[in-house]
Amino acid sequence: MKHPARWAALGVAVVVGSLAVVLASQVSTNPQAAEQQSRLVGQTVPRFTVHTFDGQTLSSRSLAGKAVLVNFWNSWCIPCQQELPSLKMFAAEHAGDPSVVLLGILRDDTVGAARPYAQAEGISWALADDPGAALSLDFGTRGQPETYAISPGGLVVGSEYGPASVKNLDTLLAAAQSHP
Amino acid sequence: MTRRRVLVWGGLAVLVVGTLAWAAWPSSGATTPASRASELATELRCPDCEALSVADSDSTSAEAIRADLLRRTKAGESDAEIRQVYIDRYGESILLKPTSNGLGLIVWVLPVVALALAAVGLALAFAKWRRQPRLEATDADEALVQRARAG
Amino acid sequence: MKASLGILGVALGASSAGLGICVLARGLWKHEDRWLIVGRRFVFGVLGAAIVAVAAMEWALLTHDFSLQYVAENNARATPLLFTITGLWANLEGSILLWVLVLGGFLAFTAHKFRHRATDPLVAWANIVGLAVALFFFALMLGPANPFRTLSSPPLDGSGPNALLQDHPLMAFHPPLLYLGLVGFTIPFAFAVAALITGRFGEGWLADTRKATLIAWGCLTIGIILGAWWSYEVLGWGGFWAWDPVENAALLPWLTATAFLHSVIVQERRGMLRVWNLSLILSTFCLTILATFLTRSGVLNSVHSFTVSDIGPWLLVFLGVVAAASIGLIFWRGDRLRSPGKIDTPVSRESAFLVNNLLFAGLAFVVLLGTVFPLLAEALQGKQLSVGEPYFNRMTTPIALLLLFMMAIAPALPWRAATADVLRRRLLLPAYAGGATMLIALALGTRGITTVLAFGLGAFALGGIVRQFAVGARARRRAEGEGWPTATRHMIGANPRLYGGLVVHVGIVCIAVALASFSAFTVRREVSLARGGSATVSGYTITYLGNKTTSSAQKRSVSVELQIHHGGSDLGVYAPAISTFPGTSDGIGTPSVRTGLLRDVYLTLVSSPNQKGRITIGVDINAMVVWLWIGGFVIALGTLLALSPRVRRRVRPEPAPLADTPTPEPPPTREPEVVGV
Repeated sequence: MKHPARWAALGVAVVVGSLAVVLASQVSTNPQAAEQQSRLVGQTVPRFTVHTFDGQTLSSRSLAGKAVLVNFWNSWCIPCQQELPSLKMFAAEHAGDPSVVLLGILRDDTVGAARPYAQAEGISWALADDPGAALSLDFGTRGQPETYAISPGGLVVGSEYGPASVKNLDTLLAAAQSHP
Repeated sequence: MTRRRVLVWGGLAVLVVGTLAWAAWPSSGATTPASRASELATELRCPDCEALSVADSDSTSAEAIRADLLRRTKAGESDAEIRQVYIDRYGESILLKPTSNGLGLIVWVLPVVALALAAVGLALAFAKWRRQPRLEATDADEALVQRARAG
Repeated sequence: MKASLGILGVALGASSAGLGICVLARGLWKHEDRWLIVGRRFVFGVLGAAIVAVAAMEWALLTHDFSLQYVAENNARATPLLFTITGLWANLEGSILLWVLVLGGFLAFTAHKFRHRATDPLVAWANIVGLAVALFFFALMLGPANPFRTLSSPPLDGSGPNALLQDHPLMAFHPPLLYLGLVGFTIPFAFAVAALITGRFGEGWLADTRKATLIAWGCLTIGIILGAWWSYEVLGWGGFWAWDPVENAALLPWLTATAFLHSVIVQERRGMLRVWNLSLILSTFCLTILATFLTRSGVLNSVHSFTVSDIGPWLLVFLGVVAAASIGLIFWRGDRLRSPGKIDTPVSRESAFLVNNLLFAGLAFVVLLGTVFPLLAEALQGKQLSVGEPYFNRMTTPIALLLLFMMAIAPALPWRAATADVLRRRLLLPAYAGGATMLIALALGTRGITTVLAFGLGAFALGGIVRQFAVGARARRRAEGEGWPTATRHMIGANPRLYGGLVVHVGIVCIAVALASFSAFTVRREVSLARGGSATVSGYTITYLGNKTTSSAQKRSVSVELQIHHGGSDLGVYAPAISTFPGTSDGIGTPSVRTGLLRDVYLTLVSSPNQKGRITIGVDINAMVVWLWIGGFVIALGTLLALSPRVRRRVRPEPAPLADTPTPEPPPTREPEVVGV
């Protein structure tokens, strides 16, 4: 073992071996998956004021006391279109309940394109524009669709990244309602 | 001759050092909010994209972040505070340069250490090579040669 | 039918490789030359099988046979012919077909070249290693990455290749050239392993594989530069290198291969650095497998992420085996690898090459560390961390500048030892040229140490190269009485390797200057324009003329026409666009670039006309980008020159040696002869 080449080879083997272990441990995980949980969960909802497509003004203050699901969406992204039926079913389920609010925030799209799409699809819940992507930024969204659940007390209790099923939405709602 | 050599090499040294000093001279104009914002934009990752910086990306969220950065620098927030706001929202992966505390220290320190070790190793090798004696013929070798020549 | 033919090809390839290994192994074990001669022929079987499989796939693509899953996913009836053909490498399974085709070609070429040495154990072992690598890739296609999977109910139309892969003709060149480079390194690797196993680590294997290594290096260099070109011309984000993990993965073997090309010269001259060279070649091959792994496994987020599949574990196992074998071989033979000779003084060409190698190794270390660090952080602490452009730029720039400095001084350093006199004669004038360039650059407004230093070192290097050409040609002229052009031609012909290398260095200077200028002088703006409106950026006035929507079966594009004026002259109309392809929702932006020698006007369409008819465009005035591509072209020329055979000519006997000749005169021969080196 006296020859320096052997020591060097041993050192390299240790480094390469550790690299192999690291790579092997990461091969099965999806780098996106770990980022699914939003950092906002457990924090107070960022203050916001938005204007809906039909001219109403909604704010975090006016929605206080209700369980709110904020859904970031747009008219052209495929997963948003995939999510639409679940949202419709959810909205229909809770249509008569004033303490549950489903609010759609437009992300990376124009009102001009989104409004006719929403009308054609018969979207019944409140949809709002997000000028300057301010709300999208405040919530720390990374894409769309993303859904956030806010408790009546103004706490963000859960988030869903990607198209949400009715079950996901119900779980989010339950989490929001169980919080004060 | 020596003076000429000094002049010639000295002149080169003056030229090189002088130009480098001039180049390094801090340019006039303190950092404006706009320049700070664009500098920060190169350090933040665009959340929508695959590893592009906010400065490079054209997506709506990148534009929104650039506008937000400008707003914040104008409002007087420090660089560190702004970075922290974004870390709170998106997690540490929003930074394109790992911070120098904690695990991130590895990427900054390790290459410097490795290069320093390599330089030291090289210097040691040169010293060893210099010290290695030239092979001297021993008396026995000389005798062998004489015998071969004779017989 | 085509699927069966394809699978047959793959199976034939795997069995050919496997049988070849067995036959050659038996020949080596029993010392029977007959088996070795027969065994080598299986390499041609591998090539034939690869050709059959690739032909089957191309046939299926060209006939839009959607019963094959691969064709259904990567081709559509509306796909243009060029992108139908390039569909072979549009996705993972097909690109492995390309890999085995290139590998088969290289193995066959090598087997043919060494046909007279078929009974040499070194050559036999090299064939075995090459066949083993081929066997692995064929096995991949028989298993997880099967390109010939069929669909029970074929769709009426396929979904077409990924939008980004049918946007630009570069798709026909970038992946094949990259593969020619990456796969080509299998040959020197095979010979290095053979040399270690047989215990013959003299310089034989180096000379044997020198051409293959140089060709592979050249192709990899051009492939990487084409990738940068694609990023710039096609992707539209205004840059050409994003330190994306996949870009880094291809850069790593390039760095070690470049180090090898330099240190090999020291081994040939002085017999030194044997362990180091062997390790470099072994590492280069391991890094090519790592590159494939990082690209295909999806462990890291990247622009190339659409190619993710689940062959990651297979590639990782193969990488582990190759790395373990390489390290094991060095460990086993370590005691026998001590080289004779030592480096006499720190200021000599040998030590310059040694420093060069350490710097390249340092660069490779930095790039590797930055690329895998997110994985490390995830594995150790579960944290998500990113390492991006700011880190890589900060860490690689000092090393790159040092390398530029070494490139300037090393060709001027003599072997063994340098005196101050020699240094003065060879380096002083170029050094002053570098200093003067820095002064001029500063006077013209450049600031920042790295940029000014890059310009200065580039001029220094260029000055040294010009001087070397001039002095060599002048010496030849005096000796032979030839005119300048003839003297230069003969001088280059006598030592094409040296002068080819110097030409490559010229290309590197072009690239270095381009990189420095780009980072220092680029201006980027976003402007909003109404029809007829203009905006001025850095003296270029952009006027919005109108917009156009074109639809074809392949895609639908919205483009805007912009006229550029500069200093009173009309530079033409350029049309950036956003295209949507059926089957995808996102728009793919296509930039429009007006290329100039000093500045590019880079136009992108950020948002198409809104209700008021206003558009938002991106206007980047990029400095000296074209010199990246010019530099790449020069590198290709230099590589070809270095590959060309040496021409030995009759030389009139010389009374006295000339003091300044940078190259030794070739020994006089009777006839001019062309000698392959």
